[in-house]
Amino acid sequence: MKNEQIGECKVNMRIEELDFNKVVTEDLIELNLQGTTKEEVLNELTNLLFENGCISNKEGFIRDVMFRENEGVTGLEKGVAIPHGKSKHVLKTSIAIGRTNKFVEWESLDGNPINIIILFAVKDTDKTTIHIKLLQKVAVLLADEETISKFQTLQTKKEFLKILTEKD
Amino acid sequence: MNIVGISACTSGIAHTYIAKEKLIKAGQELGHKVRIETQGTIGIEDELTTKEIAEADLVIIAADIKVSGKERFLGKKIVEVPTHIAIKAPKQLYQKIDAELNKQ
Repeated sequence: MKNEQIGECKVNMRIEELDFNKVVTEDLIELNLQGTTKEEVLNELTNLLFENGCISNKEGFIRDVMFRENEGVTGLEKGVAIPHGKSKHVLKTSIAIGRTNKFVEWESLDGNPINIIILFAVKDTDKTTIHIKLLQKVAVLLADEETISKFQTLQTKKEFLKILTEKD
Repeated sequence: MNIVGISACTSGIAHTYIAKEKLIKAGQELGHKVRIETQGTIGIEDELTTKEIAEADLVIIAADIKVSGKERFLGKKIVEVPTHIAIKAPKQLYQKIDAELNKQ
């Protein structure tokens, strides 16, 4: 019985790992965002989502993200913001990640501008909780200051993905 | 202290879980035992048990929306804050609670 349980556990872990790569991939990361305003940056990340088939309609998705922006502050601390859109224009629940060259004005908890943007695109009708769980994992990582300082200094998309997937 | 709580935010995707994590981490660092139930877009997770609630010295509700099941805390000391307080200044929140409790 015990062995069986361990076996099952292993299988579950493999599935989760696989799915994580579905939610965020190197294609959805841009460490060289050019935008200098919130709107420009959101546009760039939305383009990434669109090009990768994660959303069906750019304007509609941005409208839903801005709706959430108006409901409350999405900037955290130390330059990180987590805008998110739960939207019918999302085809596949995903995360687009960007780092800007210049800090961008953005309402945040510590009052500082933002240069790391983690955009959550959540399917309106996502009944499969596994995707949301993966987003939760990312959210939990953002509670860790060490992780955030790594986000500020790392140089490659690979490193970014590694941080997101290794800690559990 | 034995602390139980609930976190919940507007869209139930991110802030709920960051708040939970911060409350647990800071609480542990200050020597508290903390259990947080999340009420997010996929429903309730880590639901508090009757026993945990009974044994709790304090209830923290970090929420930007109305949470469900508040009646479970009848007769308990309840602290209610928005999620951003729990995310930005969890330690200060605990310290303030301590100070308030000592005043009484």
